[in-house]
Amino acid sequence: MSKTTKKALSVVVTVLLFALALVTIVPFIWMFVSSFAPNSEIVKITGGIFPTPSTVDNYVNIQETFNFFRLFANSLFVAVLKTVIIIYVSAVLGYVFSKMHFRGRNVLFGIVLSTMMLPWAVTIIPQYEMMVQFGWLDTYRSLIVPGLVSGFGVFLFRQSIGSISDEIIEAAKLDGAGDARIFHQIILPMSRNSIAALAIFTFLWNWEDYLWPFLMITDSDKMLLSVGLKMFSGQYGTDYGGLFAATSLAIVPVIIVYMVFQKQFIAGIATGSGK
Amino acid sequence: MKIRRLVAALIATGSIVALTGCGADPDAPVVDTQADKGLEVMGDAVIYDPNHLVNDGQPITVEYWTWGNASTDPIYSMIDEYEAIHPNVRIDVTVVAWDDYWTKLPLSVKGNRNAPVLFNVHNSYDALIRPHMEPYDIDLGDLEADYSFVDTHVDENGDVKYIDSVINTGAIFYNKTLWAEAGLSDADIPTTWDELIAVAQKLTKVEGNTMVQAGFNINGSYSAIWQGLNYQKGTLMFQDDGTTANYDCETTKENLEFLQSLYDEYGIGSVKFGDDRDLSFGNGQSAMIYEWGSYVGTLATNYPDIDYGVFPTPTFDDDVPFAYDRYNGESTPGINTHQSDEQKAVAQDFIRFILANDDYIRLASQVLNSLPAKISLQDDADILANPMLAAIAPRLDRLIWPGPTPSTLETSPLIAFENVLQNGQDIDAAVAYSQQLIETDMEDSAFTSMEDRYAHYDEHN
Repeated sequence: MSKTTKKALSVVVTVLLFALALVTIVPFIWMFVSSFAPNSEIVKITGGIFPTPSTVDNYVNIQETFNFFRLFANSLFVAVLKTVIIIYVSAVLGYVFSKMHFRGRNVLFGIVLSTMMLPWAVTIIPQYEMMVQFGWLDTYRSLIVPGLVSGFGVFLFRQSIGSISDEIIEAAKLDGAGDARIFHQIILPMSRNSIAALAIFTFLWNWEDYLWPFLMITDSDKMLLSVGLKMFSGQYGTDYGGLFAATSLAIVPVIIVYMVFQKQFIAGIATGSGK
Repeated sequence: MKIRRLVAALIATGSIVALTGCGADPDAPVVDTQADKGLEVMGDAVIYDPNHLVNDGQPITVEYWTWGNASTDPIYSMIDEYEAIHPNVRIDVTVVAWDDYWTKLPLSVKGNRNAPVLFNVHNSYDALIRPHMEPYDIDLGDLEADYSFVDTHVDENGDVKYIDSVINTGAIFYNKTLWAEAGLSDADIPTTWDELIAVAQKLTKVEGNTMVQAGFNINGSYSAIWQGLNYQKGTLMFQDDGTTANYDCETTKENLEFLQSLYDEYGIGSVKFGDDRDLSFGNGQSAMIYEWGSYVGTLATNYPDIDYGVFPTPTFDDDVPFAYDRYNGESTPGINTHQSDEQKAVAQDFIRFILANDDYIRLASQVLNSLPAKISLQDDADILANPMLAAIAPRLDRLIWPGPTPSTLETSPLIAFENVLQNGQDIDAAVAYSQQLIETDMEDSAFTSMEDRYAHYDEHN
């Protein structure tokens, strides 16, 4: 392939990627611009693609529809706590399945993996009944406990920890370190990339999770933001401006988490994808 | 280290914010010892005497669930009034978004934590919630003396679990600006469909081969309007057994042909003129549409600049039809039968309070743009100042409710409309196909039509 052809191909690919990026980003930009426009402007057929931004009322009035900041804090609390717990539990189990040898290890790991293959719709009804029986409705226990073990997280850590040399662990054991110390002082620090990848996935899934928090939490003081955003949709219509303003604010934590972890995230996915 | 610190900071922040708001509740209910509050007895037949103690004056909290906010649900104001009279009662409101209200409510009514004692009802979900509802502890004769259409809510046991607070139906919304531009005045407001066609032709604008302004846009409205048109000709939605849909009939075909002629013969609208008549009207591109009262709220929120009027839906001739249209009611709250006797007693007291209280119906009429089901308020001058209500009020006696019909009676006919007007299918085949769809959808339905409870039922074809 000649240099000119390569260059032309590169230009074409770059243009295509820009076009794809544009298609992905434009809806977000549209939402953000619309969050500064009144509903009459947003639903207008005539005019350009983007509504004319002319007001900050949508942001000012968010708190009138629901207690935005309270729900934002609730979501942050639950998402962060679940992320931390799931990362830790996944790392422990990943370490066990990767570096410890015992009878039935592969069968157990297979069972953990099989949980990823069950559709959510199959488990949601028995899980709901369990929460009712436990008396956990309207508590954060009902959001946190059922999600403590993540099949995906265990798989990710098993793969990444498997790439850590056994000699390092044996050397630590020779120096007198126990399993707990090896895990906390050697394995965890060496799994930063997997931690970052799982942190992003878990935080994002929990931040945007709707159905389960909706079914579990009724108290408006304990409600999560993803559920609260629905309040903008009424029986006969939607307050688009308010919805877009609240959603624009709601995606900020996700962007921050991704920006903080993005380098490790890419490396973590690469590590977890092979052995 | 960076990650650890970041996570710690996030957890700390989350914990601090999550714990804010803890402390004494200033609105907590207090013991009430004063039975005689010196207040007047309310109501005509359904009477509420506020001079008594609720729950023996002991503090009690009940939950009310709704999908509305204070600007759309009149119960909010009633709660404030009730709590002022009975300071030992607190009614906490939980809002669940409309889309998912009907998923969560049936799951939650069975005595779970924060389960509602009172809940907002929509009659389209009657079958889903009726088993969980307590009958009203109010004499049926009193209810019927005060409210219209109560008989449609009496079940096989003679119980009433909710009634209509206000009712609504369809009407024609017209753009006054476009009306004036076409040289039309109030004298041109049509009363028959032929007159509407003539007016709509003046309001239609075509540039080249492209319609730029529709005189009368029915895109999307067939799901509702077919029922009204059939009723105008005396044809019921259901056959004599009350369970089999009567969609595939000569009247339906005649009316579908009539609607097709509006576009194909008279050219007062087009299937190519978008699929959302509300959006089109709101943007000043359609001069007239058929809509229900809730559209008043949409216009106020999304299209405040549109100067519009409302007139009653035309009829095929000047005679009084079997019925002008179907109506639907907004329901009074339901009481959760699974709750404790103490809580249900408070709920019963609250229901009596709102039904005896004109404020409730006035507010419901105002926020829901609907006509009072309370007889004493049906000719109230303040209420009839609303043009939508003034348009439908004279027809109250000739509006029919088929009952909480399954949604397939709206969605399946719409397919027939699209097949005929957009896909060019033969009317007989399209109507037969939709009838088949309806029957398949209703195979497991326990629905029975309420049409036989209509006052003029005997006049049907």
